[in-house]
Amino acid sequence: MSHSPKGPPAPLSPILLAGLALRPVPYVLLQPIFTKAIRQMHNRHSDVFERLIALGSPRYLIDPVDLPFSFIMDTNPAHPTLDVLAEGSDETIMDIKACVRGPLLQLIELLEGRIDGDALFFSRDLVVEGDTEAVLGLRNAVDGADINVHEDLLDLFGPLSKPIDGAAQIAGKIFNRFSRDLSLISQASTAPLQRKCDAQAASIEELEETVATLKKQLRRRREKTA
Amino acid sequence: MTSHLNLGPVLFNWPADKLRDFYFRIADEAPVHTVFLGEVVCSKRQPFFAPHLPEVAERLTAAGKRVIFSSLALVLSKREVELVRELCALDDVMVEANDLSAASQLMGRDHAIGPFINIYNEGSLKVFEGQGATHISLPGELSRKSLAALAKNAQADLEVQIFGRQPLAISARCYHARAMGLAKDSCQYVCEKHPDGMDLDTLDGDPFLAVNGLQTLSYTCANLIGELTDMQTMGIRNFRLSPQNTDMVEVANLYRRVLDGIQEPESTTEKLDDLMDGLPFSNGFYYATEGVSAQNGLEEFGV
Amino acid sequence: MTTEKLELVCPAGTPAALRAAVDAGADTVYCGFRDATNARNFPGLNFSRDELAEGIEYAKQHGSKVLVALNTYPEAGNPEPWHQAVLDAADLGAHALIMADVGLLSYAADNRPDTRRHLSVQASASNPDAIGYYQKAFDVKRVVLPRVLTVPEIAALNKQIDVETEVFVFGGLCVMAEGRCSLSSYATGQSPNMNGVCSPASHVRYENKGNKLVSKLGDFTINQFSQSEAAGYPTLCKGRFVTEDKPSYLFEDPTSLNAAQFLPELMEAGVTALKIEGRQRGKAYIAQVVAAFRRAADAAARGETVPPLGLENITEGQRETTGAYNKRWQ
Repeated sequence: MSHSPKGPPAPLSPILLAGLALRPVPYVLLQPIFTKAIRQMHNRHSDVFERLIALGSPRYLIDPVDLPFSFIMDTNPAHPTLDVLAEGSDETIMDIKACVRGPLLQLIELLEGRIDGDALFFSRDLVVEGDTEAVLGLRNAVDGADINVHEDLLDLFGPLSKPIDGAAQIAGKIFNRFSRDLSLISQASTAPLQRKCDAQAASIEELEETVATLKKQLRRRREKTA
Repeated sequence: MTSHLNLGPVLFNWPADKLRDFYFRIADEAPVHTVFLGEVVCSKRQPFFAPHLPEVAERLTAAGKRVIFSSLALVLSKREVELVRELCALDDVMVEANDLSAASQLMGRDHAIGPFINIYNEGSLKVFEGQGATHISLPGELSRKSLAALAKNAQADLEVQIFGRQPLAISARCYHARAMGLAKDSCQYVCEKHPDGMDLDTLDGDPFLAVNGLQTLSYTCANLIGELTDMQTMGIRNFRLSPQNTDMVEVANLYRRVLDGIQEPESTTEKLDDLMDGLPFSNGFYYATEGVSAQNGLEEFGV
Repeated sequence: MTTEKLELVCPAGTPAALRAAVDAGADTVYCGFRDATNARNFPGLNFSRDELAEGIEYAKQHGSKVLVALNTYPEAGNPEPWHQAVLDAADLGAHALIMADVGLLSYAADNRPDTRRHLSVQASASNPDAIGYYQKAFDVKRVVLPRVLTVPEIAALNKQIDVETEVFVFGGLCVMAEGRCSLSSYATGQSPNMNGVCSPASHVRYENKGNKLVSKLGDFTINQFSQSEAAGYPTLCKGRFVTEDKPSYLFEDPTSLNAAQFLPELMEAGVTALKIEGRQRGKAYIAQVVAAFRRAADAAARGETVPPLGLENITEGQRETTGAYNKRWQ
């Protein structure tokens, strides 16, 4: 797993723009909500965790790139946990089997089984690191359960569910619009850097071609070191 | 009980003259017990060598070799079905079935089953033995553990390929023709260009597979020389050499000397390495790991 | 033999997908147990015994049938998991068992003779003599045809055999004769025949190299994608390789099969059932594809032209092919 401590949140994070900023709140204070959420998932969809036993009940790093923090999900079938990991934490010491990074919206779609296993790999928005099998297993397992993040989360709040429902839907709409805007803005601001990368890539490609030719020449009559 | 070296069918498209001379030399010089004859990969190649078959079979038989005729591995068209039926209808010859179409017609008589028919377990072994199979060449991806379990239950003679590029897949599509931008129907027999198969590399230049018309083989060459004793202990007594475009008489001599205890596997592998011009060896399937890998002493000669 | 209406056989990797397929109009759903007894032994997928029982019940309530795929080749010295799977699937009320191994077919015919036996595509029985063998020896009622035959070949075949045929119409396309391919185990040690997996995710890696994304299977690069290209899963036979100094998708372009346009011809050719590939795909995919093919099969049954499927969002980034149904494919 590559070492990539979480950088500062994108300044134009759609979450922030949507006015749902969690910024003033220390992330650890959100922990009880996530604990409650994973417990509820465990109650409702215990088969998700049972399906992952064959893979050794992996620990996953779930990284919504547009949020200022990520999660560690431990899929222990008896006591699954979802822990907030603050920015700057060293991911390498967390005994993580695999990592999924991507925009929150797409991570939710993945959780609800709306992103296909094959599509998961076609997409450039979701980045899968580490044990690919563990990630595919997670996708297949959640797909087998009828998870609905909106409804499941709303149920957490009991009698308040109606008004929050409306708010969540509005947030979802705003979120969608801003995430479109954001990708335009970020493309514009990274263009010069991209050109430099392209130039470097061209020279790497040239080197790779040379290596491939050399491999070919070495192909048959290889020198034996013995 | 003695162990036999057998020569599998030539999988590649060699010119008829070359093929005839090859078998004449095998008849005269190679220490092999059984020779498998016939086109297994592509029915389009079949007419070229067919006229030479009786002469070659006779020469081999006269030299004391057993001859078995191998059937096509992939039988699709009406013509291919007919070819298999004709082969199976021949009197007084032993046939190796490489597709169920052949196996079904050989029921009730002494016949062989080739490595393109799936026998992975005792259950299917028993069915084929019950139908009259007395010589069974097992699929290449079986591990040591599977071979041992099968050998324990076998009534028929079991055979394992110990040398040559490993057949990995067969398709209705011709990849040789496709690589040259030709249609299968008008392929111009381009597979003739590569008597050992056409190398297929990854995008970063690592050799990976070999293309032989409809068939895909390993880039590496199987070499189970270090596993011969182990297999003999299991009760496997028949070892298949799959012909490559090298001195197969010398290849057979080398394996024979190891089977007879005259030569060590290690020094023999060095000689085989020269004969194969440095083509890497592999034996991974035997150890239930990646087929491409070289284990247990063969590492130095692997990829 | 002409059928009045084509049976729609749909995949389910999970109970949720099974319900989705039934709800979308599947006549029949096929699935497998959560182990190496079936050829989609993917992580997190497939059915426990209890889940299968519930699935069969759900299907029955809605007038659908469930087939259980036991289409890998039992391991030598370890036949019990496969034998137990035959007994359990039959006793739980599966309509038929889909098998490829001769030994397992024999076991099923001896021990659960009343449960229908279908010949899996993994047996790659591609001619009347081979199919006739399975019928005579094991009383197989239906054969799933290899994805290598043209429509006229299928029509000719149906005239010479006395069993039902089922053909693939949508989804992933094997370019090699099924059940006779060790490409995956050559590179990874795991094969469809033995382990029920091809190009397993456990051996897949994606590497960023400059502005390229490289997909690897085991030690081998299967493909590279530039920034603008959609990245695919590194299924070995769908990779880009170099022969004679020329890089190409030598075995098969990264396409998926869509034979909807051939439905009337397939009916005419005497085919009994249409099969949709994809037990590894999500329930949303299943729901959409099954509904589309329900409409298509119903239209074909009424003698109408097959309407557009409207599956562009699913095949996005991937080209479609009519596969071997069109002779030019070879």
